Amino acid sequence: MRPGDDDLNDEIRGHLALSMKERIERGESPASARLSALKEFGNVTLTRDSMRGVWRPEWFDSAEALGRDIRFAVRSLLRAKGLAATVVVTLALGIGANAAIFSVVRGVLLRPLVNRDEDRLIYIRQSAPGLSAANLTFSIPEIKDFRSRIRTIGGFGEFSTTEFTMVGLNREPRTVQAGVVNGSFFDVMGLRPVLGRLLNAQDDRPKAPAVVVLTYRFWTAALKSDPNVIGRSIRFGPSSATVVGVLEPSVPYPADTEVIANIVTSPHHLGATMVTSRTHRMTELFGRLAPGVSLDQARAELTSVHADILREHPEAYPASAHVQLNVARLREQLAAPARTVLLLLLAAAAVVFVIACSNVANLILARSVRREGELAVRAALGAGHGALRRTLLAESLVLCSAGAVLGIVLARPAVAIVARYAARFSVRALDLTVDTSVLWVGAGLAMAAAVLLAFVPRLPSPNAPSGLGLASGVRITPGTSRRLRMFAMTQIACSFVLLTGTGMLVAALVTLQTANTGLNMRQVLVLDVPASATGIGGTRTADFYREATRRISSLPGVNGVAVGSFVPWRDAGSMPRLPFSADGATPVSGEENPHARLRLVAPGFFSMLGIPQIAGRDFTDDDGAGGTEQVAIVSHSIALRLFPNGDAANQRLFLTDMVSGKSAPNRIVGVVADVDDENVVPEPAMTVYLPVRQVGYGGRLFVHASGDPHSLVPEVTRVIRELSPDQPVERAATLEDVRAEVLSSDRLNAFVFSGFAGVALLIAVVGVAGVLAFSVSARTREFGVRLAVGSSPGQLVARVLSEGTAIAALGIVAGALGGFALERIVHAYVESLRIPGVLPVLGAATLLILAAAAASMMPATRASQVDVAEVLRTE
Amino acid sequence: MIKHSDERGMDLLQGTLDMLILRTLQWGAQHGHGIGQAIRAQSDGLLKVETGSLYPALHRLEKRGWLKSEWDVSEANQRAKYYKLTATGKAQLSRERDRWSQLVDAIGRVMNPASAKE
Repeated sequence: MRPGDDDLNDEIRGHLALSMKERIERGESPASARLSALKEFGNVTLTRDSMRGVWRPEWFDSAEALGRDIRFAVRSLLRAKGLAATVVVTLALGIGANAAIFSVVRGVLLRPLVNRDEDRLIYIRQSAPGLSAANLTFSIPEIKDFRSRIRTIGGFGEFSTTEFTMVGLNREPRTVQAGVVNGSFFDVMGLRPVLGRLLNAQDDRPKAPAVVVLTYRFWTAALKSDPNVIGRSIRFGPSSATVVGVLEPSVPYPADTEVIANIVTSPHHLGATMVTSRTHRMTELFGRLAPGVSLDQARAELTSVHADILREHPEAYPASAHVQLNVARLREQLAAPARTVLLLLLAAAAVVFVIACSNVANLILARSVRREGELAVRAALGAGHGALRRTLLAESLVLCSAGAVLGIVLARPAVAIVARYAARFSVRALDLTVDTSVLWVGAGLAMAAAVLLAFVPRLPSPNAPSGLGLASGVRITPGTSRRLRMFAMTQIACSFVLLTGTGMLVAALVTLQTANTGLNMRQVLVLDVPASATGIGGTRTADFYREATRRISSLPGVNGVAVGSFVPWRDAGSMPRLPFSADGATPVSGEENPHARLRLVAPGFFSMLGIPQIAGRDFTDDDGAGGTEQVAIVSHSIALRLFPNGDAANQRLFLTDMVSGKSAPNRIVGVVADVDDENVVPEPAMTVYLPVRQVGYGGRLFVHASGDPHSLVPEVTRVIRELSPDQPVERAATLEDVRAEVLSSDRLNAFVFSGFAGVALLIAVVGVAGVLAFSVSARTREFGVRLAVGSSPGQLVARVLSEGTAIAALGIVAGALGGFALERIVHAYVESLRIPGVLPVLGAATLLILAAAAASMMPATRASQVDVAEVLRTE
Repeated sequence: MIKHSDERGMDLLQGTLDMLILRTLQWGAQHGHGIGQAIRAQSDGLLKVETGSLYPALHRLEKRGWLKSEWDVSEANQRAKYYKLTATGKAQLSRERDRWSQLVDAIGRVMNPASAKE
């Protein structure tokens, strides 16, 4: 059908030959015939091109025209670099924020799990709101009841964790959290091995060999994906287990462990307490819906069976605990805590996009007002409405594509930050990757923005031509102008609130980081040395620690060594709080028995950490030795509370054992200053210290170094291994390191907030710039007249600048009022919220005013450079 | 296109070239040069079709399916492309002819009100 170039040439050659022949027959000479034939034909190339053009598909022409328009657009935007850059950056922020947050939303809320038939997989949770226990977990007798009575669940998977000291696989002895599962767990979860096999019913037999499956992350990260790992043996304390397989990558829920073992691996799981006690709850429960059963049916049956169990065993379920059962799809269980936060973020990002677009639209509108002349000339020269629109579309396409590209570049690191933030709410955010959906979202938003922006400017109407004088200009009604100003002001108000909030967070962070903790932060090295993990117990533990202390003390560079039970901040929540009372103490009326933090420390602990002794003495090596009197040291606030007259020393303190409920007396031998080792914001702390030797438990080693504490780690480890070869020595850090680690979540908060505030600031500034640019463009004549009657350009600049700062100032006032009201509302729910200090408020206000002034500079300069003669001529 | 002021000629009315080509081909297959010559001869030299318009028009009509083409050897003893009317081309010609006579009639009434009343 479609002729090739040879055909076209032949056709033209044929025509010329015929034309020549005719002329020669009329008597012309061949040379002149040839010349006149060519002359008559006209432009051969052009004709051939139009012949070829006939056969081109129609879109080709439009694409070519668009290409032309885009080249034109790029050239014309290069003449307005400032505007183009502003628009591109603003759009990039809008597009980037949306793309990033959408990626996280998709990854956390929408992506299916890797588990087979993941929509049949459910998670069952027992909770006790009455005990403020959000997750009570299950005991083995409870699970046994479910197994024998429930018909709607095809299989139950049990998962619990236990602490092992792991030795083997060429790794240092370490304390690890291991998952312990029943034989049907992996089948219920629908997970597959990448190597070897997973666990099955055979592994549940009482005489089954101990076997473990490695998790994918551990296998790849720690073992470099070693394919020969199958069959290797790992020692867990006294017993050992064989590696039989590696699990595929999957969501680490409810706990991220390195290995998952069968039940016989854990002596605790075979013990009588575990098997028979209804209240010994430590197992998480998963289920797979039986074929044809809906989630609602399963939930109904589980709830009713659970109610029966509650009735049958009232002793295990006190009425005040309000024990209840929740059943949810696993995927929803994983996503639920993050859903609200993420949807809020998504909504915020959408608002940011809309605001960014409207600010950009203002800028574009201002530009189109300035170039109305150009458009009118092009219309007069025959450019149709469509062609003009296409020009504008090309321009906004160029801007938006550039914005999208930059936005996607920005989105990549933003995804990482948002994912880290979201990981607090859902483990699914941990393995997020940036995928192509970011590109699609970015491109889609850019297209939407491009079309929107192309249709904002008005075109010169062909029906009412404004003439080539083109003096008409857009007349802004006072209403339009006021609306635009209100809009910009609202943005300033919002970013003021955000900036102030960020200022507060940053100020709080600085306060926390520089706060005086009362502890020796730099020179004290802390290490986890959990003796219980290696099976040493009782007096042998105390002997082990005493010997380790003696040997480490003699190392060069060591000023002192003390054993403790608690690394400040890092171990927060790991030790129980015990109710206490005292002989002759005056209990504060109407108050419940107070609870104290329990800490076990060795002699020398207080002086080493820099905790002042207020009264009495420190522990000695003899305290807590067999047969001697039980002693205690209390913190200042306990002493004040029990014995306001300051005579705490030598009084008897009764501590109530949580398990047995019995109270035992301890003689108070000393009082030390309060140290809050749980909260980063120090509060009064009621702490009872007992000698390590008296309890036979420690686990943490504190070493005071004269030089760099970290350089002592290998020596200390070597000395401890000499005493006990399999002893884990882990998590060496100075107290300063620990505190920095604990504060990292505050830092992330401040970081995320700063990001938001920065985006808001930039967008608000663009908003102010847009409004002023628009207003200046539309008032060219006014400025011309002002210049003509004697205003200096400087006065005009000042005038526009003051308009910009006025918008900002009003916005700040509105923001301050709004923020104050907001604070009132929020305060009712969040106690800890405080009115920000003067510094963040002033800082935010100054920043905004400066930014607004900077944003007004460009339009202001333009106003002062209006050409008087031109303006007056067009009048 | 270059206009020669000394040459007697008329511009073609927009949109009539297609009709003229279809009409010319009613007598049989013809090459581009022949079509141009035929239109000129039929109009007693009044209508002169520029090759720059003629050839793209031929290709356009062929693309629409009103013409089809084949290669043959011309009287100049060279390869030439001959165009032929298709069935749909014939139908199109009669449509255009109707439209044309209506147009001529309408313009005639406007330009010549007296004669139209007869």
